[in-house]
Amino acid sequence: MRSLRIGLLLGIRQIQRASVWTTFLIIFVMMLTFLNLIAVSGILVGLIAGAERAVRAEALGDIVITPQDGEDYILETESLVRKLQTFPEVTAYSVRYAGGATMEANYKERRDLTGERDTASVQVTGVDPVLENQMSGLADTIVEGEYLDPNEEGYILIGAYYIEEFAEQFGDIFDTVEGVKPGDTVRLTAGTISKEFIVKGLIQSKVDEVNLNTYIPEREFRRVFGRIDRNADQIVMRVKPVGREDAVKAAFLSLGLDRLAKIQTYDEGKPKFITDIKNTFNILGTFIGSIGIVVASITIFIIVFINALSRRRHIGILKGIGIERRAIEIAYVIQAAFYALAGSALGALLVYGVLVGYFERNPIQFPFSDGILVAPVDETFVRFLVLFGITLIAGFIPAWMIARQNTLNSILGRK
Amino acid sequence: MAIIEATNVHRSFGKGDLAIHVLKGIDLTVEEGEFVAIMGKSGAGKSTLMYQLSALDDPSDGSIVIDGTDVVPLTERERTEFRLNTLGYVFQDYALVPDLNARENVMMPLLMKGMEWQAASDRADHSLDNVGLEGKYLNLPGMLSGGEQQRVAVARALSGKPKIIFADEPTANLDSVSGQQVIDLLTRLHQDSSQTIVMVTHEPEYAETCDRIFYMEDGQITDIKTK
Repeated sequence: MRSLRIGLLLGIRQIQRASVWTTFLIIFVMMLTFLNLIAVSGILVGLIAGAERAVRAEALGDIVITPQDGEDYILETESLVRKLQTFPEVTAYSVRYAGGATMEANYKERRDLTGERDTASVQVTGVDPVLENQMSGLADTIVEGEYLDPNEEGYILIGAYYIEEFAEQFGDIFDTVEGVKPGDTVRLTAGTISKEFIVKGLIQSKVDEVNLNTYIPEREFRRVFGRIDRNADQIVMRVKPVGREDAVKAAFLSLGLDRLAKIQTYDEGKPKFITDIKNTFNILGTFIGSIGIVVASITIFIIVFINALSRRRHIGILKGIGIERRAIEIAYVIQAAFYALAGSALGALLVYGVLVGYFERNPIQFPFSDGILVAPVDETFVRFLVLFGITLIAGFIPAWMIARQNTLNSILGRK
Repeated sequence: MAIIEATNVHRSFGKGDLAIHVLKGIDLTVEEGEFVAIMGKSGAGKSTLMYQLSALDDPSDGSIVIDGTDVVPLTERERTEFRLNTLGYVFQDYALVPDLNARENVMMPLLMKGMEWQAASDRADHSLDNVGLEGKYLNLPGMLSGGEQQRVAVARALSGKPKIIFADEPTANLDSVSGQQVIDLLTRLHQDSSQTIVMVTHEPEYAETCDRIFYMEDGQITDIKTK
């Protein structure tokens, strides 16, 4: 306790009397270290989190209902929809019918009937255009043309990656048709049924489920795919307030809806690879950040070592007049703690006061994601504790090295 | 009554043929309340002797008993505690902590002894008043003259009410006026409160104020002069 009191006095006074610029510089280095630790992994994770957020917003919603294992479709879809409509928490939903088809384009202009046809295997989703737009904001993804009008028939929206001009950056990965624009005619063939559609719009998003999809009104879907039972492939919904999805799901289960379909929250239903990539990036970010910690600890070590070495004689004199070695070590540990705390506090202020909000408003435009900065407070706190602990050790070791030297040798400046 | 008893104290540096024998069997006794000076030319071993007597260094051989405690076998921790409770130091170049003001410098050993902050502060101010530094409590060492800094060092040495004060050439870095002030201060302390003081000095006129003078040459006490 006595040592702590004297260590505090010595440490605080050394900080107070130190050069302002030197102190500022050290704190700045610590702040950069903190940012390196938080922001690098935060942006890497944010890259996936941005993609995940987009999938949730534009494709899967907060709760996803899919067919039970062993079933082709959601049973008693209409009855199920009527029940979910009674939940005030469900603010939007969309019933989706899905099937695979061949889309042919440019057949009217084709002169050589023996030549290769311009076709692509496509995913077709039948939706209620109004409900789908309320749920996923599909209309906002239109890049050319217009969104489906619920009162019109014979129109289709085509995902950008089915159009060669949009997908050429990916080489031959996707099956595409060439030069299709709004107003052109395409032909969908599913089994033995074919139907012509006028391209109403082209859609493009950061979500592949949208880019690799075509949308037509559900009644036309049923006609093309011969689906007369009205049982859907997927029901997605948005729930408010945010975070209530578990409670809503539990309510669905209590109504026995799980007899008809598999009911999952977004977190349960999202593709596993998203979680895996997120964890991988988190580890990668931590690894990169830990290099910053090593640099910072060496910086602190050098700073404290030089500081203690230049005061070696004073340290000797303090020991000479009866001050315990521990008090002197505490003084330097307190300095290191101050630098770590001040740097981390400034870093945290910058992360939570500026960067998180900034990247929320201005996401980084990655090809497959609107990258944000993810910095959960609990994870940040753990990383701060690591940084703080290592800094204390980096401050203690040089102080211990100098303070343990022979008292008289220190006083006389002897080696 | 003897407060310091040094018997056959040797101090060597290095080993074998390269060993340098700085102290060669010193026998010395300092009585309680005595003011003694150790004099000699440079290299005579007077500072080395003082470091042994003040428990700052280990003799190569011999025994040193201070206030009834044999200090030679003490561990470093015990020795630090012993110095805190029994001894006070005035070094040649003041040896103040530059980041602490005059009051805080004086408070250091008091806080280490476990005194409460306010009591230590009051005692420090009182000690500074005693050495003529009224109102300079908050001055940093850099804002004080050499003489004033040395008086702060004396106040620090005194504040813990040590049994013995060791002063290692306390006037060496001071002009004659400041040097005399420090010697007057030590003399007054000795006269007023029978403080035991052991001082190493080059200056014969300052040594004249002491009760006894030990003259050293080549690591041995060659003469003792009593006032």
